[in-house]
Amino acid sequence: MTDIHVTVPKEKWTPVDRGAQDAEFIAAPSLTYWQDVRQRMWRNKPAMASLAFIILLILAAIFGPMLTHHTYYDQDLKLSNIPPIFEVYKAEPADAPAQYVFLNSGNFKLYEVAENGEILGLVRAKRKDLMKKQHIYVFGDAEVRVDYSQLPATLVDGDGNAVESIGYRWNQTNWFGTDSLGRDVLVRQLYGARISLTVAFVAAMVNFFIGVFYGGIAGYFGGNVDNVMMRIVEIIATIPLTLYVILMMVVFQSGFLSIIIAIGSVFWVDMARIVRGQMLSLKNQDYVAAAKTMGASTKRILTRHLLPNTMGPILVTLTLLIPSAIFIESFMSFIGLGVSVPMASWGTLTAEAVETLRAYPHQLFFPAAAISLTMFAFNFLGDGLRDALDPRLRK
Amino acid sequence: MDKQPHMRDDEVLMRVRDLKKHFQVSAGFFGQNPKFLKAVDGVDLDIRRGETLGLVGESGCGKSTLARTLIRLYSPTDGVIEFNGADLAKLKEKDLAPHRRDIQMIFQDPYASLNGRMNVRDLIAEPLEIAGIGNDKSRTARVHELLEVVGLNKDHANRFPHEFSGGQRQRIGIARAIALNPQLVICDEAISALDVSIQAQVVNMLEDLQKELGLTYLFITHDLSMVKHISDRIGVMYLGKLVEIAPNNALYDDPKHPYTRALLASIPIADPVEARKDNQDQMQGEIPSPIDMPSGCRFRTRCPLATDLCAEQEPELKELADNHKVACHYAE
Repeated sequence: MTDIHVTVPKEKWTPVDRGAQDAEFIAAPSLTYWQDVRQRMWRNKPAMASLAFIILLILAAIFGPMLTHHTYYDQDLKLSNIPPIFEVYKAEPADAPAQYVFLNSGNFKLYEVAENGEILGLVRAKRKDLMKKQHIYVFGDAEVRVDYSQLPATLVDGDGNAVESIGYRWNQTNWFGTDSLGRDVLVRQLYGARISLTVAFVAAMVNFFIGVFYGGIAGYFGGNVDNVMMRIVEIIATIPLTLYVILMMVVFQSGFLSIIIAIGSVFWVDMARIVRGQMLSLKNQDYVAAAKTMGASTKRILTRHLLPNTMGPILVTLTLLIPSAIFIESFMSFIGLGVSVPMASWGTLTAEAVETLRAYPHQLFFPAAAISLTMFAFNFLGDGLRDALDPRLRK
Repeated sequence: MDKQPHMRDDEVLMRVRDLKKHFQVSAGFFGQNPKFLKAVDGVDLDIRRGETLGLVGESGCGKSTLARTLIRLYSPTDGVIEFNGADLAKLKEKDLAPHRRDIQMIFQDPYASLNGRMNVRDLIAEPLEIAGIGNDKSRTARVHELLEVVGLNKDHANRFPHEFSGGQRQRIGIARAIALNPQLVICDEAISALDVSIQAQVVNMLEDLQKELGLTYLFITHDLSMVKHISDRIGVMYLGKLVEIAPNNALYDDPKHPYTRALLASIPIADPVEARKDNQDQMQGEIPSPIDMPSGCRFRTRCPLATDLCAEQEPELKELADNHKVACHYAE
C-alpha cells in the first residue's frame, strides 16, 4: 500500500469569479422557427446526405441526357449486353501494335477496347471450333481462343494456357454498360429518373394542392361538410389502383399518362386525412378563436394560422408519399402497365433486366439500386424533417 | 379603487337578455330525443360603460361559454345581446364584422392564444391588418407603441412567442386585444395561468389601461380575491344562470344567495383558529350535470335552505337592494 498524494495547486481552490453579466445570461440565442429547423436539419447527417442525393438525382435527370450523345432509343445490336466493368486482356502480335480485348462471358464474344476501357468494336472470330467449344481469334500472328467448354468462359492462347489479364477497366463508352439491344443503360436510367421524378412531382403537387386544401376544409368546417367530404375520400381510397390504371389505359392509350392521372386523382387521400386530423385539433386552439374575434375571414384563418401550424406533418407525409408514388409507377411499369417502349422507366428497366438475369445480373443492379436509394433518400429526409420540424426536440 | 365619477353613470354598454347557449350532446339513431347541454341558460346582464364587471363561479358553470357567446365565437341559441344599437345575437357573420373591433378578448392560456408561427409584430398587427387600418409601416409603428404601453419594448417585435415568459406572452395578448381601441374587453380567466406575482403586475396594468383608454372589462375568473380587487360589480353564476349580482362591497359584505355565501366561505382563511370553526355555509355535494338539470331552483340539491317550493318554482332574479339582484326564494 503506498500513500497517494494528490497535490492541487492552491489557486485552483479560489472561487470562480462569476461576473454579474454571466449570471444573468441564460438565454439561448434568439432564432426564428425556420432558422431553428435548419440548424437541427443540418445536424442530421443521413437526412442531409439524402437531400444531397435527391438534389443530385434531380440535376442528373434534367441535365444528364443533354451531356451525352447516347439516346434512350438508339440500338446497336453488335454492342449489346456490355457490362460496365470488364477484365481487359492484351494481345501482342509480333508484327502489329498491341490490341486490347475483353471477353463478354455472357455471350462468349470478344470486344476490342482501348487501353483506358473505351469500346472500339466487336471482333469477328476467325474460326469457330464447335467440337472443342472454342472460338478462335487471330491478331496478326497471335492467336486467342475463347474457351466455353467450361463455364464461365475463359480466354486461352493457342496452346490452351490461360491468358493473363492486365486488370479491370471501367467501361468508358457506356458507364453503366448496355442492355440486350445495345442501348446505353446510364441514359435510360436517367430517363427513368425523369419519369420517376415526374411522378414524384405530380404526387407532391396533388398532395399539396388537393390533399392539403381538401383535408383543411373538411377538418375546419367539420360537421356535415366533414362527413360528406370524408365519405368521398373513403370511396376514392377503396379503388384498387392497378385496376384503375388498366381502365385508364383503355381511354388514354398511353400507360404513363394513365399512371400520372391515376396517381393525380387518388393519391391525395392520405394527405387529406392527415391534414383533416390536424385541423380538427388545431381549430379549437385559442389563437384561432382570437383571430375570429378580430373578424378574420375563413381564408385568412386557414392560410395564416392553421396551415402554417400543420406544415410539419404535411412535409413529413409528403416525403413519405413521394417514394410510394415512385414505387407505384415502377411497379406498374414492371408489370407492363407503365411507359411504353422504347421509353424507359426504372420499372421497365428492372423488368428487362430480370429477363437476362442469369447471364447479366449486373443489369438488374442499376435500376434496383436507383429505386432503393431513392426510397431510402426520401424516407430518411422525411424522418429528418419530422425531427427537425418538431420544436419539442430542440436542444 | 376610485374611478372617475362620470364613468360611474349608468349608461349600459351591453345589454344581455335571456341569453341561452345550448350544445347538442347526443341524438338518437334517427335524431330523436336529442340531449342538450345547457351551458348558458337564460342570463340577464347589463354591462355599464367604463366599469369592470367581475363574473365568478365554479368550473363548468358556463362563465367561459357566456364570454364566448357574448363575443360571438358561439352563436347563441336564444336571447338578445344589445351592443351599440345592434342585436349581436341575431347578426350574421358578415354583418358582425364592424362590431368585432369593439369587443376584444384576452384569453386564459397565453401559450395557446398566440400563434407560434407568427412573430410579435405580426401577432399584434393582425387585428389592424384585418380591420384594414394603415399600411405596413404605420402598423409597425402602432405595434411598437402598443408594446411600450404593455411594458415590453420594440426590440421584442421580431421575436416569437416561445421566447417569452407566460407573463410577457399575456402582455402580448393584451396588446393585441387593445390594438383596435375596443370598447369592451372580455378577460376570460386572463390571469389564472400566471404566477401570483405576475398576476398582480398584469392586473395593475389592466387597471392603468382602463383609466387611460376608458375600457370596459368583463372579468371572468374563479379567483375570488382577485375579482374583489379589480371589479366594480360582481356577478355570480351557477349552472348557466346568474344567481346574484351586486356592487363589489355589497356582495362581499352581505351575500344574499346561499351559493354566494358558500363560495365566499370556500376562500381559504389564513388564521387556523378561524378556519377550524364549523362553517354553516360550506357546500355539500357535487355540481349537478348541466344536461340533467334539477327542477326548480338549480342550486336546491346543494342548498342548506332548500324546501319544496325550490323544487317546484324557479326563482327569478329580483332586485332586493340598490343594484343588488338575487335569484333565491329565501333571500332577504
